[in-house]
Amino acid sequence: MNNDRLMQVLVTPVVSEKSTVAADSSRQFVFHVLPDASKPEIRKAVEMMFDVKVDAVRVVNIKGKHKRFGRLMGRRNNIRKAYVKLAEGSDIDFGGIA
Amino acid sequence: MQVSVESREGLERRMTVEIPAEMVNGALEKRLREIARNAKIDGFRPGKVPLSIIRQRYSGQARQEVFGDLVQSTYFQALAKENLQPAGEPSIEPLQMEPAEGLGYVAVFEVMPEVKLQDLSEKVIVRPQVEVTDADLDAMILKLRKQRTTWNEITRKAQEGDQVTIDFKGFIDGEAFDGGSAEGVPLVLGTSSMIPGFEEGLLGVESGENRTLELNFPEEYRAKHLAGKAAKFDVVVKKIAEPILPEVDDEFAKVFGVAEGGVNGLHKEIRSNMERELQEKIRGVLKEQAMDLLLEVNEVTVPKALIGQEAAALQQQTKQNMAQNGQTSSIDLPLNLFEDQAKRRVALGLILGEVIRENKIELDNERVRTRVEQFAQSYEDPQEVIDYYLKDKKQLAAIENVVLEEQVVDWVMEQVKVEDKARNFDDLMNNSHTGTGSDS
Repeated sequence: MNNDRLMQVLVTPVVSEKSTVAADSSRQFVFHVLPDASKPEIRKAVEMMFDVKVDAVRVVNIKGKHKRFGRLMGRRNNIRKAYVKLAEGSDIDFGGIA
Repeated sequence: MQVSVESREGLERRMTVEIPAEMVNGALEKRLREIARNAKIDGFRPGKVPLSIIRQRYSGQARQEVFGDLVQSTYFQALAKENLQPAGEPSIEPLQMEPAEGLGYVAVFEVMPEVKLQDLSEKVIVRPQVEVTDADLDAMILKLRKQRTTWNEITRKAQEGDQVTIDFKGFIDGEAFDGGSAEGVPLVLGTSSMIPGFEEGLLGVESGENRTLELNFPEEYRAKHLAGKAAKFDVVVKKIAEPILPEVDDEFAKVFGVAEGGVNGLHKEIRSNMERELQEKIRGVLKEQAMDLLLEVNEVTVPKALIGQEAAALQQQTKQNMAQNGQTSSIDLPLNLFEDQAKRRVALGLILGEVIRENKIELDNERVRTRVEQFAQSYEDPQEVIDYYLKDKKQLAAIENVVLEEQVVDWVMEQVKVEDKARNFDDLMNNSHTGTGSDS
């Protein structure tokens, strides 16, 4: 688990109503992560990039939708999301990114 | 709100306005909430975006808007507080300040000059005293008769005032030149419509006679290639006619639209015409003097902004006039061409405004009406013209302006010493330049 890998694990923060609610009520911050990222990787990556303590990581895999364009079948990429719960006293401010 | 004013040269003022942080933040917060109500951001339903995210995304924009609004509202407050009357738009520059300190800006503008009306009682206005005398009347009638001159062919030698009909050919160095020849030209001797020497050279010719004139074109002749050249003209005189002035009789009167009363009626008509013109002229002369006097006595520093506006308006007007006269409006009229005139007009406008305010001169509606009626007299259907003017606010305003100016002139006349000076009709009508343009 080298640093280069950790830098790539977090793809983008998710900014939505749901993620805002999660952040406000239970200090959970949501990210899109690489499809093959593991929970320990995500924990390390978040701790490294935002300088916070992580309490727990939960992940979900979302299958990409099947879409057809005329007769062509297509498929969107799968997405892996991570809900990262921070330890008490930690916070992430997405200031510039969001 | 803190306001400080710095006077710069002339009428320019620098007004620094500082708005405290609470005021700015309050307005900012309000603005952000307003944005939140309609903002659309991916991941949120419209109107459900949390304020923290709105703040992140829109605070820059909201700040600018708030700045604009605040400048709008505080600018006038600040002016009222400092008792300033700006002329024209200010140029506004924001001050560099930390967000925590609130906002500030510097407005640079010119103020309306204060016009202090000076005493006019020592000044003199010359009022021309003119009567329309019988001699003036005769002169006018002679002029009218001359307009109706008929020509009677005769056989005697030509003399001054006669009309000769000629063919002529001009040569320079033995070569015929462009525009140097013509046939059947009627030429009245003594009217100087040809180059000097030409008409004199034809005095005493007889009908059918050939004459050769050796002449020089004048140095400042308008056709450059001919100026100053020596030329020879072969002239053939076809016809000589003497002028016949029509007799002043009933017939003559009819030509000028006086159907009744014959010669006496004509005399009366002409006299009343002349008198009307005279009144108009005297009024113009007085007005011009009064305006000049006001300008001379009351020194006004005119704000550049106003001059600029006025000059632009004049430029526009001139262009329109030219376009109406069918001239190509592609001619570039530089703005500074109008600056002097604009300056005069603005200064006069300011002075007149002050005169009107100070002396509580009010528009005399009665006079406006008379004026319109007078004006309408020269049309075929006066009532229609009157109605038209009284209905159209814009047209009426122009007339009201004129009347108001007249009232100011009247006021000036009351103030100054008036010196009556006898002048004769012809002299006044032709030699003093008109001053009837609208100045305010």
